[in-house]
Amino acid sequence: MRKILLIIKREYLTRVRTKGFIIGTIIVPLIGLGSVLLVVFLVGHTATQSLRIVIVDNSGQLAPAIVHGLDGKLADGQPQFTVEQIVSRPASLDDLQQDLRTRINGEKLDAYLLIPQDLDQPFELHMRNPDNFGLIGPLSKAVDQAVISSRLEGRGVHLENIQSLLKGTDLQLLKVSETGESVEKGQGIAIAISLVVLLYTALLMYGIITMRSVIEEKTTRTMEVLISSVRPFELLAGKILGVAAVAFTQFAIWMTSTALLFSFGILASLGMTRNSPLAGVHVPISLVIYACLFFVGGYFMYASMFAAIGSACSNEQDAQQLQWLAMAPLVFCMIIYGVILNDPTSRTAVILSEIPFFAPVLMSLRISLQTPPAWQIALSLTLLVLTTVAVMYASAKIYRVGVLMYGKRPSLVELVRWLRYT
Amino acid sequence: MDAIVLENVTKSYDGVTAVNAVSLKVRCGAVLGLLGPNGAGKTTTIRMIMNILVPDSGSIRVLDELVNDGTRDKIGYLPEERGLYPRMKVLEIIVFLAALHGLTQAEASRRAKEWLDRLGLSEWSDKKLIDLSKGMQQKVQFITSVIHRPPVVILDEPFSGLDPVNAATIQEIMLEMRSQGSTIVLSTHRMEQVERLCDAICLIDKGRNVLDGELRAIKQSYGKNTLHIEFTGSDGFLNHPGIDQITRLITGVEAKLKPGTEPQEILKAAVLSDAKITRFELLEPSLSEIFIDRTTRA
Repeated sequence: MRKILLIIKREYLTRVRTKGFIIGTIIVPLIGLGSVLLVVFLVGHTATQSLRIVIVDNSGQLAPAIVHGLDGKLADGQPQFTVEQIVSRPASLDDLQQDLRTRINGEKLDAYLLIPQDLDQPFELHMRNPDNFGLIGPLSKAVDQAVISSRLEGRGVHLENIQSLLKGTDLQLLKVSETGESVEKGQGIAIAISLVVLLYTALLMYGIITMRSVIEEKTTRTMEVLISSVRPFELLAGKILGVAAVAFTQFAIWMTSTALLFSFGILASLGMTRNSPLAGVHVPISLVIYACLFFVGGYFMYASMFAAIGSACSNEQDAQQLQWLAMAPLVFCMIIYGVILNDPTSRTAVILSEIPFFAPVLMSLRISLQTPPAWQIALSLTLLVLTTVAVMYASAKIYRVGVLMYGKRPSLVELVRWLRYT
Repeated sequence: MDAIVLENVTKSYDGVTAVNAVSLKVRCGAVLGLLGPNGAGKTTTIRMIMNILVPDSGSIRVLDELVNDGTRDKIGYLPEERGLYPRMKVLEIIVFLAALHGLTQAEASRRAKEWLDRLGLSEWSDKKLIDLSKGMQQKVQFITSVIHRPPVVILDEPFSGLDPVNAATIQEIMLEMRSQGSTIVLSTHRMEQVERLCDAICLIDKGRNVLDGELRAIKQSYGKNTLHIEFTGSDGFLNHPGIDQITRLITGVEAKLKPGTEPQEILKAAVLSDAKITRFELLEPSLSEIFIDRTTRA
């Protein structure tokens, strides 16, 4: 046990101290966060000024209604639009337009709206940048409202009356589960997909780290010295637990920094939280616990498979061919998870999520979508634990033989034969 | 007492017998030279003593205890396939391996500094192993094999890659350990080192122990049957029927005599020829000759 602890400590410290760890854990997420904040900042910045417009009203009657509709406010309380001028029935339209265009090119004006004499004809919006949705959206709505209102009033109906008549209703979605009901905000799917991607990535990434670590000890011939003082099983266990500790550290840093970011209100101050899809995301604590349980089981199973593969190979090239053995089930999960997303209670979904190699990803997915019956979770977890123990036992046997073997990459048949060595 | 005892040890892989019914005793405090051609089974034998491999049959005792995980901490091991974590710092790696052998961190660190000092590596202790020369890495690995003061030390080709000064330092340390009562197994191909350092030898060939015992006794059993002759002029006298085999040296020849041939007969032939003899000496066979004799005998 003392030796296992020493190995865990070495594995952990040498990994955490590398530049790769610092870059992967701190700098990459910071760059990601930084670019998100930059986009938020830039998008927010463009709309912080009132848009200056001129309305040219050839009909001579609609402009006030449109101005009435342009009542949007910016984040700082300023009006979204500043109507600088209303020109009603201009004497010389061409001269006026020439003048307005000059003002727009001189950046003294942002746009001008041309109302046709006949309101059934198209309206025209002249501007420098016709892709400015911040301008087009609200203006188009105001124009629609004004035109409809004018038509209805021509038939003696007031818009307000019609609006109250035509007003629809919201359909609120409620998710029913054993623990009661909760308002569904359409985040379930987002959480489920994020969970699948997270579990897949973590299992694969830390598995491959374990494999590389074993190969490194072989290629540098450190293995011979190590196994002359510790048993291969101790070395294997220490390595897997050491990498697990690294994974835990990495996740802890990410979780804490995310929590800190939210609580310091960095995101909130940028007006992001109110409208962002992240606002008010609620991840049930039971899901977190289940996902952790399945992840831990899956990690030990996959990490020991990857370690055994690493031990059987003398270099990275050989390992790249054999690592598919461990990667295939994980990749299959990524291909098939859509089926479970569509119908988490189908027979296919139930069977697949009970198979230990898929359970860490697929059962977690099912739990996040719709809590399956307790017996299904219990059975899946039991099968996972039993398989993990069996895989670890077999891996330790392959590892014990593999660490001393150099040269040609063993075939599958040879790997099976190693299992029978005493 | 014997430090290492092998009884009828056999190990085979996939039908190839690497070690075949080897029995061997290494007396406590002795330096044993483990010799044999490449692929003879030396490494497999050492790995079984280290409990890295388990023999198919037979038994191995180290200091009167059947080999187990505990006996390994009593043995210092310098493997032939050398290598340590290349990106770890020199001091850290020595302390890590010493701690695996049961030393406390503080004690391991203290001893490591002593050793680094003695082998002239003090200023490298904070450098990564990969930044060291091959010879320096070799010295670091040597430290890791003796830092826990094991009563038994197994050194596989300890001098390969070392310059004469460093080789002499390691040799001095080995003799010092021997005088303190350590038992040393030295596996090497360099016969002159074995002649200089070893009390006993074991010669393994094709998985079998073909010769073992005290070096002096073995040499005596071969008898003085080798002539060292230095001369100028014609070498016609070397065609004498009593000479079995000739090894030509820069200064002269070594001639192995056939059983029953008296050295005087050769001397007489030489004097009668027109060669001028400057040296004529009767010797014990060299270890190289014994090695070649034993391993080429079908």
